[in-house]
Amino acid sequence: MTVANEDGYDIRNILSQMREEYWQGLEEEESEAKEVLDCLVFTLGGERYAFETQYACEVIRIPKLIRVPAVQSVISGIFNLRGEITAAMDIRPMLGLSQPEIGATGRILVVKSEQFATGVICEAAHGVQALFLDSFEPAAGLSAARQQFIKGHFNEEEGSVILLDMEALLCSPEIMVGEV
Amino acid sequence: MGSRYIEIFCREAEEHLASLQSGLLVLERNPSRMSLLHELLRNAHTMKGSARMVGLADISAITHTMEEQLKGMERGERAVDAQAIDLLLKGADAVALITAALAKGEAPNLDVERFIAEYEKGEAVRPVQADSRETQAEHMSETVRANVKTLDALVNLVGEMIINKKRLEAKLVPLKEIAGASPPGLQQQLLEFRRELEEDVLYLDYLIQELHGKAMGLRMLPVRSISDGFDRLVRDLAQQLGKEVRLETAGQGIEMDRVLLEGLKPMLIHLLTNAVCHGIEGPDERVAAGKTRQGVVSVNARHEGSLVVVEVRDDGRGMDAQRIRDAALARGVIDQREAELLTDEEALYLTLRPGFSTADIVTDVSGRGVGMDVVKKNIERVKGNLALATEVGLWSQVTLQLPLTLSVIEALIVDCGGETFALPINYVEEILKVRPRDISTLGANEVIKVRGATTPFYTLSSVLGLPQREAAENAPVAAVVLKLCDQRIACTVDAHLGNSEVVVKGLGRQFKNVRFVFGATIMGDGNPALILNVPDLFEAFSSGSRAAARSDGEQLKKKVYRVLVVDDSITTRTMEQSILVTHGFAVVTAVSGEDALEKSEAGSFDLIISDVEMPGMNGFELTRALRAAERYRETPIIIVSSLSRDEDKRQALQAGAQAYIVKGAFDQGMLLETVETLLG
Repeated sequence: MTVANEDGYDIRNILSQMREEYWQGLEEEESEAKEVLDCLVFTLGGERYAFETQYACEVIRIPKLIRVPAVQSVISGIFNLRGEITAAMDIRPMLGLSQPEIGATGRILVVKSEQFATGVICEAAHGVQALFLDSFEPAAGLSAARQQFIKGHFNEEEGSVILLDMEALLCSPEIMVGEV
Repeated sequence: MGSRYIEIFCREAEEHLASLQSGLLVLERNPSRMSLLHELLRNAHTMKGSARMVGLADISAITHTMEEQLKGMERGERAVDAQAIDLLLKGADAVALITAALAKGEAPNLDVERFIAEYEKGEAVRPVQADSRETQAEHMSETVRANVKTLDALVNLVGEMIINKKRLEAKLVPLKEIAGASPPGLQQQLLEFRRELEEDVLYLDYLIQELHGKAMGLRMLPVRSISDGFDRLVRDLAQQLGKEVRLETAGQGIEMDRVLLEGLKPMLIHLLTNAVCHGIEGPDERVAAGKTRQGVVSVNARHEGSLVVVEVRDDGRGMDAQRIRDAALARGVIDQREAELLTDEEALYLTLRPGFSTADIVTDVSGRGVGMDVVKKNIERVKGNLALATEVGLWSQVTLQLPLTLSVIEALIVDCGGETFALPINYVEEILKVRPRDISTLGANEVIKVRGATTPFYTLSSVLGLPQREAAENAPVAAVVLKLCDQRIACTVDAHLGNSEVVVKGLGRQFKNVRFVFGATIMGDGNPALILNVPDLFEAFSSGSRAAARSDGEQLKKKVYRVLVVDDSITTRTMEQSILVTHGFAVVTAVSGEDALEKSEAGSFDLIISDVEMPGMNGFELTRALRAAERYRETPIIIVSSLSRDEDKRQALQAGAQAYIVKGAFDQGMLLETVETLLG
């Protein structure tokens, strides 16, 4: 906030300016409220990805994963989520992404479908962010494999964020053991 | 009438009476509620029926009158007023008084006959003693009804407690280390503290065990609860077949998990049906053989360690190993070569294979060639085991081994390929140390001698597709001998870590079709360990451990072999083609010998599979023609034919074929194995 008058401290001016800013802020909030999508944002294959928060249960550090014999490579293993045996999946190959090593920032995003809860391994999680829908572009010109699980992307200031089709991913036979 | 039925009746009556007593009061306030009236009518009617079943004429008479009164109200012939409700309540009270007395085995404190006589007339009778309510309330407090889901949740929570206790227990070890590294004064204190903690953990362990036992007990039911209808089943079946059979039961009071009992019932029904239909002979045949006219079938349950053993035995004609071999051959379950290799004991287990039946006539009860394999599947599903024994002409016996429960099992914990696994103990026969010089090869497989018996020997980690640990040369390796029905295999593990009671947790829907494991447990360190499904392991071993261990990468690197399939039958052609294609072969088909020759010139093939009898050029002629061509002089040729005479086989070999498969014994594994062997 700047002081309008060099000569002194014009309290009226400052107050009216504050009032104006307050109303402006309210208007902005109102107009934006209709246009944002609350998403969990994270890094996969070096890129920023997101999905709607309604699918997210929790984000946890990666515990020890127990390998399961004779299952597809997307299932990295299982872990104990407070007594529930839960799968951890590396979905990067499904999206045609490279697989940089998962380091200390690596997390498991626990997501739920109607049928089961499962874990998605990511390189880093960036929390819930409100993404502006007017910057959203539907997916186009992607390879078939990618198109299947991607809805489109947001052109955010810090770069683009790709919106995953979590529902399609959770219904995919590729993640069901014994169906591929 | 047995007291058990009376007890059941009393419990049922309690429920109906409670609902009548509260319902009647509501009805008094809302006389027009027909749905409630109907519900009360149903209560009275059911109670009347049940009372008749167990021979309680008094209660039946009272409830009959109550039913009539309620019916009158439903039809609108009788007013729903305080007086009528009062009369009904008196009836309910009288029934409550009688059942309460019955439950205690005492005479009711009521002149029943006079009451009934007056009650039927619709007169308000002398008031029922006030203390009747008290006795009833007391009796009711002894049992409560609980939702099955609540029980399951309770058992799960106790399971969680066991896991947490283990974690606490595991913390005692590092505490000792910490004490060891502490300065002397503190060390003494820490050690003392640790000893006390250890005692606390021990006591906690005891309490949890007790709690677990009690919680499990809630889900347990006696074997009797499923075997009540068996008497009738055996009697009806025997009568239908003109046989005389008596059913004897023992150990029916043994309790098992409700879920397991549900699985056991169809198995027992099947085994009893088998015993009566196939086991027990007709009365004349029995007399001729010097037996009693009446055959005996027995169902015997008993505890054996942490398992329940159920034996179904009959004193009939027994199981004839030779007859079983012949039947299996005739039905194409096995081939001649296999039949000759089987011992008599092994032959008995042929009855467990799909498609087997010895019955000459198919009846609507048995002889359809399905059944025993279903029993085997069911027993595998409940992690049990099955054994057969017989003496020809005297008896046969099927022994089912079942765990008491599926929620906690005794397991051997092993290390394998860098992971920890649990093996259900009822499949584990013994643990051995195997030195490299003990291992010999038989065909393509490695075998070892276990107590004189040649036993296939596998590496568990390779079957599971896990990395194998490099063992020091000549160092002995740990092996576990597993048993399933009559089969035994030995497999190496990296180490075994002893027995433990483990809590079984499901893997959830994402793993619905997972192979090799049926659940997981949580170890003391909080990490899960998978529980191996031993029947799956046996299946993988018998279909060749190489195939199971083959990783995707290796499959890609493999050269794609081209196979020419020649057969005039579209069924055979399609079948062979699909088997081969799914296993990574490139397949071209030909409909006749001539067609095959043409195609063989156009392309090049690594292997040819041909039928014998085809219109035009037959398989033998085709083989000779191919051998004459420079390009196919060395190419392996397999003849697949329905001709099983030795003469045909000789002719095929003379023509230049490398292998001869009889269509009767044709199965996917056999064809693949032959193809894979010939292609190296």
